[in-house]
Amino acid sequence: MNKRNDRLAEIGPFISQPDDDMIICRCEEVTKGEIRKAVHDGMFTLTEIRRYLRTGMGLCQGQTCSKLVKSIVAKELGLPPGDIEPAVSRAPMRPIEMKILGNDRKEV
Amino acid sequence: MNRYDLIIIGAGPAGLSAAISAAKNGLSVIVFDENSKPGGQLFKQIHKFFGSKEHKAKIRGFRIGEELLKEAEELKVTVVLDAIVTGLYQDKEISVKIGEEICHYKGDAVIVATGATENMVPFEGWTLPGVIGAGASQTMMNLHHIKPGNRVLMLGTGNVGLVVSFQLLQAGCQVAALVDAAPKIGGYGVHAAKVARCGVPFYLSHTIIKAEGEDCVRGVVIGKVDSSFQLIPGTEKHFDVDTICLAVGLSPMSQLLHMAGCKMQDTPLGYVPVIDENGATSVPGIYAAGDVSGIEEASSAMIEGRIAGTKAAEYLGFLSEDAAKEITAGLELALDRLRKGMFAPENRGKKITLTDEGIPVSDSLLTRGYLDEDELDRFPGIAKGKGIHPVMECTQNIPCNPCQDACPRKCIKIGENITSLPIIDEENSCSGCGMCVASCSGQAIFLLNEDYEPGYASVTLPYEFLPLPVKGDTGMALDRSGKKVCQAEIIEVKTPKAFDHTSLLTMKVPLDMAMKARFYKSRGCSHE
Repeated sequence: MNKRNDRLAEIGPFISQPDDDMIICRCEEVTKGEIRKAVHDGMFTLTEIRRYLRTGMGLCQGQTCSKLVKSIVAKELGLPPGDIEPAVSRAPMRPIEMKILGNDRKEV
Repeated sequence: MNRYDLIIIGAGPAGLSAAISAAKNGLSVIVFDENSKPGGQLFKQIHKFFGSKEHKAKIRGFRIGEELLKEAEELKVTVVLDAIVTGLYQDKEISVKIGEEICHYKGDAVIVATGATENMVPFEGWTLPGVIGAGASQTMMNLHHIKPGNRVLMLGTGNVGLVVSFQLLQAGCQVAALVDAAPKIGGYGVHAAKVARCGVPFYLSHTIIKAEGEDCVRGVVIGKVDSSFQLIPGTEKHFDVDTICLAVGLSPMSQLLHMAGCKMQDTPLGYVPVIDENGATSVPGIYAAGDVSGIEEASSAMIEGRIAGTKAAEYLGFLSEDAAKEITAGLELALDRLRKGMFAPENRGKKITLTDEGIPVSDSLLTRGYLDEDELDRFPGIAKGKGIHPVMECTQNIPCNPCQDACPRKCIKIGENITSLPIIDEENSCSGCGMCVASCSGQAIFLLNEDYEPGYASVTLPYEFLPLPVKGDTGMALDRSGKKVCQAEIIEVKTPKAFDHTSLLTMKVPLDMAMKARFYKSRGCSHE
């Protein structure tokens, strides 16, 4: 089994830290404490964290926070950040309004 | 579906260079960029580039951008701006947001040259207005002509932090300090020296503890860290600033490659595609060039772009294998020459104590940003001479040699290896023309004349600030650390076109100040 996905890994209890209320994902206003807690709730991959907390799902699409989230998750799991699989890259990369996404240019 | 031989994503130095190479070989090329102006980061680079002639050294970045655009235009490359590529799918199909529509394009080959994004670092108050990326402040100043703030603290002493600090000074901002958690300055010593002699202090092994202010940045507190980057209590220091610039590295914007199924790897240079020496990814026909494949400089991005463009032409049968090899071999040599010296990718994170010449490096330069007077004698460019002569305070092996070509009398020698330190050829005598001073991208060359007048010497220095002093002005001479050391009188100001906006100030100082005075401060000048 992949090291980062070892769900039986014992990571200890959640212990609050003084900077837990610091915002990490600015677009979705997710704090460091929420991210750390999510790991203890069993979210071991960035994709899971993303679905659970919406980190990196806002206006900047993770351009600002994805690296920060990754290092927080890695630290919580006791792994080097390089061992954490990056979140899946998916269209549309940038925030695009639904009315535009639904407006495919007709063939010319 | 619109079809092209080659689709390029990103119209920065790598993308445009790739487009030029490919179009030269007959490919139909379309380039998409999400910005409303092409050129990527080139148009905010107002400083002269390093390298040698083949790397467009001593040309300012934005001029290189103009050249690339013109070349692409002449080759009828289509550049679509405000075009966001939202996906890169199977069989090299892309979807692009243009205006209010999603358009679909298909290429037989794709080059991804999407560049990088600025890293952030969280600390208390980091979300306050006034905490910005160093690159963002550069965009504000150099593209939109807006001062990002009045008093700025810069976090990060890599080349971005150093170059942007200098540009902040040029824009009329005050730079309160340069701070870095590392114990040594990360960027070129010559860039640090430019900032240091304006009087900006460096705080190495320091980090930001918090940004102060309720509604926006009103101040910042930094503190010293130990060798394991833990804060040492009691070392807090406060600065009144309204802006905090973060220059803590870049991350490749490689998501499109990831999405296209290219094999990726996590490296200290970021999450990058696995590529061969030509930029080919694991998916045939998809290439990566520039910062998206690992953070480097615009100079190397341009060469990588040219290689990828050439290889795409070969992949699609526009070039024979031999013809492509002939082109890429030359480009790879040029790339190799850039990747030499102390700052070469292979030396990242290594502690370097000696130059290639075996000279101990300057500790003062690495920790305080300027050369200590006691260290000067050991460097070959800092030689004493009779009459007027150049003093080259170039003490690190960086890939750069414009000074050698600039001297019409061949006084300056670097040789084949462009990372060698410049030496003075005693056979030839200096005419004092100043071409070397203006050509030095690091602003590290000065002209000295210890025999100017009995008891007085003249010091000629590169000057890129406004307002420009005029002959007869008197002010203060500053030493390498920015400390006022003596009165100085401006005896000459030269700004010929050949100097490309680097003015040469010649000031008269007491003889014993000749090896100390390295900057000039007029009365009432703001950059301190």
